[in-house]
Amino acid sequence: MVQINLPENSKVQKGKYYKDKTGSKNIRKVNVYRWDPSSSEKPRIDTYEVDMDNCPSKVLDVLNKIKNEIDPSIAYRRSCAHGVCGSCAMNMDGKNGLACTKAHAEIKGDINIYPLPHLKVLKDLIGDLSTLYKQYESVQPWLKTSKKTDKENIQSKEDRSKLDGLYECIMCACCSTACPSYWWNGDKYLGPAVLLQAYRWIIDSRDEDRKERLRKVADELKLYRCHTIMNCTNACPKGLNPAKAIAEIKKMLAASNI
Amino acid sequence: MKNNNPISPHIQIYNWHISSLVSISHRISGVINFIFFIFLSGWILLSILLGQSYEIFYSFYNTIFGKFFLISIIWSFSFQILSEIRHLFWDFGYGFELRISNISGLVVIFGSFILTIFIFLVGRQII
Repeated sequence: MVQINLPENSKVQKGKYYKDKTGSKNIRKVNVYRWDPSSSEKPRIDTYEVDMDNCPSKVLDVLNKIKNEIDPSIAYRRSCAHGVCGSCAMNMDGKNGLACTKAHAEIKGDINIYPLPHLKVLKDLIGDLSTLYKQYESVQPWLKTSKKTDKENIQSKEDRSKLDGLYECIMCACCSTACPSYWWNGDKYLGPAVLLQAYRWIIDSRDEDRKERLRKVADELKLYRCHTIMNCTNACPKGLNPAKAIAEIKKMLAASNI
Repeated sequence: MKNNNPISPHIQIYNWHISSLVSISHRISGVINFIFFIFLSGWILLSILLGQSYEIFYSFYNTIFGKFFLISIIWSFSFQILSEIRHLFWDFGYGFELRISNISGLVVIFGSFILTIFIFLVGRQII
């Protein structure tokens, strides 16, 4: 259901202020969402003064700098640091993206960093994505074919090109957690990330389970909660278009008699 | 997992984009239009059944509030129509590219005001 206000235990408080100790002239304020599961306190926003003269270009570098030099207690996910793994997805400057590909120079004013929106927070910037992974599992993201040959399963160039803009998805969940429909109905609506994956298997020429896949996704809540708000496409750090993928599924359903 | 984990901030912190703004306005104007249709049916019904009650509406529309009400409704209709056309293109699978959807969103926003002025002027027989 639509719930605009945060519940009482999620209301964000003002947190600590970490003054710069390096004496640098080039200082930026970084506001970071903090929540510690081992304490009973509410979430808070800690402000760090960061010396930008000795900081590389991305938001992830800023976080690394804070963790290494100012406050080691801060928790966030990161791994590859060049936009391939999707671990460091978070909300920066009011928009979801990957911290490792977002340049802090693009952000005007203070840098505000939050976890991905409308998730149960595990700690600091880490949100709980287990619902999304369960939904991903529910679309059975693997090739279903009866062919059992030792040779390659060949695809024509045209069929292969249909997967462009779909296979690049790294499942960082930036799109799903940017979607208001997913905020309000995240337990039932599959969300853009999972629907894009569903479409990736529906459109694959080698897959023999298209009809069954379409039937499974054809549901008022699973699919049609997409109202083309387009926040997903706006958020995608890989420049993909989940909104279009969802529209293609809708189109296929309208044209088939399922 | 523990149930007392907080929910991360969502609509409080998320930036508005043209597309999300048009989307929520589409909903709101749809609800307004729905309510107005009931009002409109009552208006027509009353005018047919009791001729003199038309006077009530006529004098209402000539007050400042009445005019504001009327213009708002015209805007709400204009917006809904243009936005619906945009949705129609989407249903055919066109216009999903970020740039095009931003342009069409702007067309809907500005177009709705232009259409409002146009309809109002036509209604006033100025053009």
